[in-house]
Amino acid sequence: MEPLIRVNGVSKYYPRVHRPGERLRAFAALLAGREPREGAEVLHDVSLEIFRGQSFGIIGENGAGKSTLLKILTGVLTPSRGRVEVNARVAALLELGAGFQPEFSGIDNVRMKAALLGMGSRRLERKMDEILAFADIGDYVYEPVKHYSSGMVVRLGFAVVAASDPELLITDEVLAVGDESFQKKCVRWIESFLEQGNTLLMVSHSMYLVQKLCQRALWLHQGKPQEIGDVFQVTQSYLAWHEEKNASERRHRREQKGDSGLYRVSGFHLYGNGRESDITLETGDSLDAELTLHSPDGRTPVALIGVMRADGTPVYGVASDFDKRIPEQVDDQTFRFRIRFDRLPLLPGVYSLRGHAMDPEGLRLCDTAEIRFSVAGESREMGMIRLPHRWIGPPDDGES
Amino acid sequence: MQHLNRTVFRQLVSRAIRRDYLENLTGFAWLVIQPLLLLAVYAFVFTTIFKARIVGMDAVGFVPFLAVAFWPWTAFSESILRASSAITSNAALVGKIAFPTELLPISTVAATFLMHMAGYLAVLVVLQLFGAPVHWLGLAAAIPLLLLLSLFACGLALFASALQVFVRDLAQILPPLMTFWFFTTPILYSVDLLPAAWQGVMRLNPMTWYVGRLRDFLLLGEYQLGLSDLVVPLVTLVVFVLSMAFFRRFSTHFEDFL
Repeated sequence: MEPLIRVNGVSKYYPRVHRPGERLRAFAALLAGREPREGAEVLHDVSLEIFRGQSFGIIGENGAGKSTLLKILTGVLTPSRGRVEVNARVAALLELGAGFQPEFSGIDNVRMKAALLGMGSRRLERKMDEILAFADIGDYVYEPVKHYSSGMVVRLGFAVVAASDPELLITDEVLAVGDESFQKKCVRWIESFLEQGNTLLMVSHSMYLVQKLCQRALWLHQGKPQEIGDVFQVTQSYLAWHEEKNASERRHRREQKGDSGLYRVSGFHLYGNGRESDITLETGDSLDAELTLHSPDGRTPVALIGVMRADGTPVYGVASDFDKRIPEQVDDQTFRFRIRFDRLPLLPGVYSLRGHAMDPEGLRLCDTAEIRFSVAGESREMGMIRLPHRWIGPPDDGES
Repeated sequence: MQHLNRTVFRQLVSRAIRRDYLENLTGFAWLVIQPLLLLAVYAFVFTTIFKARIVGMDAVGFVPFLAVAFWPWTAFSESILRASSAITSNAALVGKIAFPTELLPISTVAATFLMHMAGYLAVLVVLQLFGAPVHWLGLAAAIPLLLLLSLFACGLALFASALQVFVRDLAQILPPLMTFWFFTTPILYSVDLLPAAWQGVMRLNPMTWYVGRLRDFLLLGEYQLGLSDLVVPLVTLVVFVLSMAFFRRFSTHFEDFL
């Protein structure tokens, strides 16, 4: 099947053009038929294909090059290297009120935007009522756009795009601006748009929206494609990377405080479903851990074991003295604790298990070890754990 | 695609006309009044102070001689000056929506010409009322000539608007250049006034041909054209084609520099 969009090895440099001298040098390079030499690379070697009916999300940090990629796909920007092929009727909603001129009235701007989106004037007149109804901003359409709130601008912009009947809709983080009810209206419209076999290409920071609307995703990191593929996989890796980044900052702060002590962790192992190494579980699997503590004075230390998300948010923690457990004593100074979590209710994501050594009184935390594990799978459930639940249906009058 | 471009073009022209000329009623009135006042100033300075006379055109009079050339020049010069910033002042549009950006300068030229040609007609009527010998038949020849002039303006506007994206100083350089061009074009005077050596130099200026032919058609009723009349239309075409090529070559880089 012919892809709607094929991007092949696209890179983009922005020439440096802030000072007049730089502008002239960059322009001279263009005149000589070269790419400007000085500049910042904002996209590096991006390739992707988007097929009909396979909506696509682009995620990444601020400044990762997402918007630049969208601009290249819509043809506003020319890539420095690589090729872009577009074989679809595209409508883009890159920024609120893109192409709106503030001194003209809403209705004038609708006419202009519709023309730019390829609507003939007769088709526009037929659709005008539909557009105004969708935007739902009343008599404001006759006011200059400069008097609009940002939400009204988005309403009008989205209404025109919706009426232009695209095959591929490209949106940047624009829906975030409208109010709740309009956002819902847009999402409903996008869903019905997708049901008709059309395709969406979106940039969003909302993983929820991306997972809800897209099948595939690209994670851009500092202009480079970090991961591309199934939306759940890509969003999970992205979130895990984020959580880890936050956690490593926190860990760094903690290490600076320093908490070494008498009692320390001498061994810590995880066994998912009885196997060690590269622990990937699924929701409902069991997890075994073995924590070995060293006690210099031979008294029995307290073991504290906790599960946390990769960003350090605690999920559950339990200490051996809560449960009054006596560990296996390996030798005079070594104690071994084993714990099993049956039917782990963790939702897909990356987690870590921490084992702490505490003094025998269970008051002071002396040492910490940590092992990461991940829970795989596709789920749109939110949060960290699955709470047991069931839906209570309407009274079943079929039987009575 | 062609259909799309036509609709966008129409929108851009009507928008430019409304914004620049018709946003209030007086806007349109000023379009006629302002050049009329300017014409009155020139007429006063040249006929009363300098006692200028146009050799061989005594029957026509200085004011009609000036007016017939002055309006097309104003349209030409104003359209280039306005259109030269068509890309930079529409940066928001150019950076957000993919469309043939050459429509921006071209629509500005079209809007300016349309407005000034309405004024031109009004002035011709005024001249007729004051007894000047306006050859209305000449209008049939003048209209293609004015279309050709607007094509010339489009060519220069395409070049200037693309160049201004990269060289912002153009906005400062262009107005004095156009003033220089105004005075080196025989609008306020006749070429015949100059020494023979200079007359040859003046004929290198395409605008000399345009205003000369306009006067021939509209004031003298002379419609004879020779082979030499092919030169400027050809130059105009070449300027347009080269400017369009320049524009298209560099329009892919606009967004990097805006």
